[in-house]
Amino acid sequence: MSTINTENLILDAPTDAKKVLEVENLRVQYDTPRGAVRAADDVSFYLKEKEILGLVGESGCGKTTTAMAILQMVQSPGRIVGGQIRINGRNIVGIPESELRKYRWTELSLIPQGAMNSLNPVIKIKEQMADAIRAHENIKKKDLKPRILKLFNDVGLPERVYNMYPHELSGGMKQRVCIAMSIVLNPSVIIADEPTSALDVVVQRVVAQTILEVKERLGVSMIMIGHDMGLQAQMVDRVAVMYAGRLVEIGPVMKMFKNPTHPYTQLLIEAIPSIKEKKPLKVTEGLTHDLRNTPEGCIYQFRCEHVEDSCCNEPPRMYQVGIDHFVSCRHAAERARSMELLGGYHG
Amino acid sequence: MEQKKVRRWNTWDNPWLNTKFLIGISIVILVVLFGLLGRIFWNVELAYVGSSPLNLPPVWQGGVPEHPLGTESNGRDMLAQLIVAIPSSFKVGLIAASVGMTAGLVLGSLAGYFGGWVDAVIRTLADAVVTIPTLAVLIVIAAFFTMRDTTSMALILAMFAWPGPTRIVRSQVLSLRERGYIRMAVLSGERPFGLMFREMLPNMLPWIAASITGNISGAILGATSLEALGLGPTRVPSLGTIINQAQTSSALIRGMVWWWFPPILVLMIIFTSFFLITTGLDEIANPRLRGLNK
Repeated sequence: MSTINTENLILDAPTDAKKVLEVENLRVQYDTPRGAVRAADDVSFYLKEKEILGLVGESGCGKTTTAMAILQMVQSPGRIVGGQIRINGRNIVGIPESELRKYRWTELSLIPQGAMNSLNPVIKIKEQMADAIRAHENIKKKDLKPRILKLFNDVGLPERVYNMYPHELSGGMKQRVCIAMSIVLNPSVIIADEPTSALDVVVQRVVAQTILEVKERLGVSMIMIGHDMGLQAQMVDRVAVMYAGRLVEIGPVMKMFKNPTHPYTQLLIEAIPSIKEKKPLKVTEGLTHDLRNTPEGCIYQFRCEHVEDSCCNEPPRMYQVGIDHFVSCRHAAERARSMELLGGYHG
Repeated sequence: MEQKKVRRWNTWDNPWLNTKFLIGISIVILVVLFGLLGRIFWNVELAYVGSSPLNLPPVWQGGVPEHPLGTESNGRDMLAQLIVAIPSSFKVGLIAASVGMTAGLVLGSLAGYFGGWVDAVIRTLADAVVTIPTLAVLIVIAAFFTMRDTTSMALILAMFAWPGPTRIVRSQVLSLRERGYIRMAVLSGERPFGLMFREMLPNMLPWIAASITGNISGAILGATSLEALGLGPTRVPSLGTIINQAQTSSALIRGMVWWWFPPILVLMIIFTSFFLITTGLDEIANPRLRGLNK
């Protein structure tokens, strides 16, 4: 049982699980002539071994920026202005490109958004796979083919894909090639950037299952970016909700869906249409503030139903409200504490 | 995994069976063969001054069968001259175009990929060279250097052939490097040179193929203009030198059509066939031009 310590803002995992990836106070901003856009502001979370963490939020809330920052691929004019990213305990922010190459793909890989643009149209699949392997290992030519075919087998691709060009594959097959590419070097963390968003639901299901199978077999940890709450609910172990560049709540998926604490999370979950009951959908009202001009106090103050004067003055911290469960709202944390005092929270 | 190859709806729909491309390439091959095989069947010694009688008209205008295309005022056999001149013109074109193209590919890739000061230096140089009127500078250079062979001429032409490809390759690389697959290749640990020449270069192949033919004919044209002005290597006959000599010996006024017309005809054939190859390649690479939607 965890205690609620509203003063404690260090994200300590109470469990003994190894933390493969730790992001601490990550800040990414895009410098524009009219001020810096804070795309990721003070983002802190950790990823445990063999865990899938879902990263959700509306468009432009900084999901992809956070992921790209972890891969150190933030594009100009964006830059990481602060914070640490530790993979297996070692910080990778600010290390030179040549060092970075050792981490990328061997420790950290990406399943990209939109697989159709992520394969070189003029190079055969076998060559693209081989390139990734050869960039890191001295592998004999005769060992290359069996290894790639084994990867195909892992993701359920037929062997004939080996000798094909990307345009000869369907969208789902391309996405599976991308999954195979991401696991060629057995990384410890895979970041999946909306891996199923461009596919129809049937293929979506197959690809999602492939990802889960691969994850089970290899024992990797994953960060799944997406805004499909239904898919997230089925796939991930924990969910992190982002809003306007900040992490507002992070916690175990079942708890988050059953008992969301942050007002924004509540809104997101109520916005999922139900097939069991007929109810008017809750529409997310209001607009996000301009990210160049972040308000003082809580970032959600303009859209929050429960906003109070104190919210507008002092920014909330991350309050721990349960095992692996943190929320960035003072009131939500207090509510959660009172519920726990009544004994009704950890059901 | 033996699958029967699906037949296209028309055997002749193979993109490489493009009429323009095929006509162009066969003419070029014929012209090159004429130059290469001609040496075997015809005595090229006759291309030297004084090796033949002077001012003989071609055989259909009352000449002798020993000199079927006639001879000119310096006692050179026209057929032998053409046989020697054609390969040397092609050589100039090929060397100048491939050196210029290679330089363009390397410099353009570096500028586009690395950006920053590398880009600034290369771009400024290329822009500066583009604004210089090439022919004027070539004339000045050719006046200072006595060109002994066609290779040095080709290299001088190549000095002005690189900015065009450089600028285009740079712009292509700028666009390519933002593509998803290039970013994925960066992530997967590919080194910059692998990215430039293994990942990006194949994407530019249609353009390279189409523009290299244009560059070759451009270089041939450049070489011919220098030679026609009398600034080329004079020892080896080339198409431009024949025109130059015909001009200085007033062949036009003297009605010696067989002297000045053959090199011009050969040049016209070469340029037309290269133009056909370029448009043909364009249609091969771009199905819409082939009219497949009709």
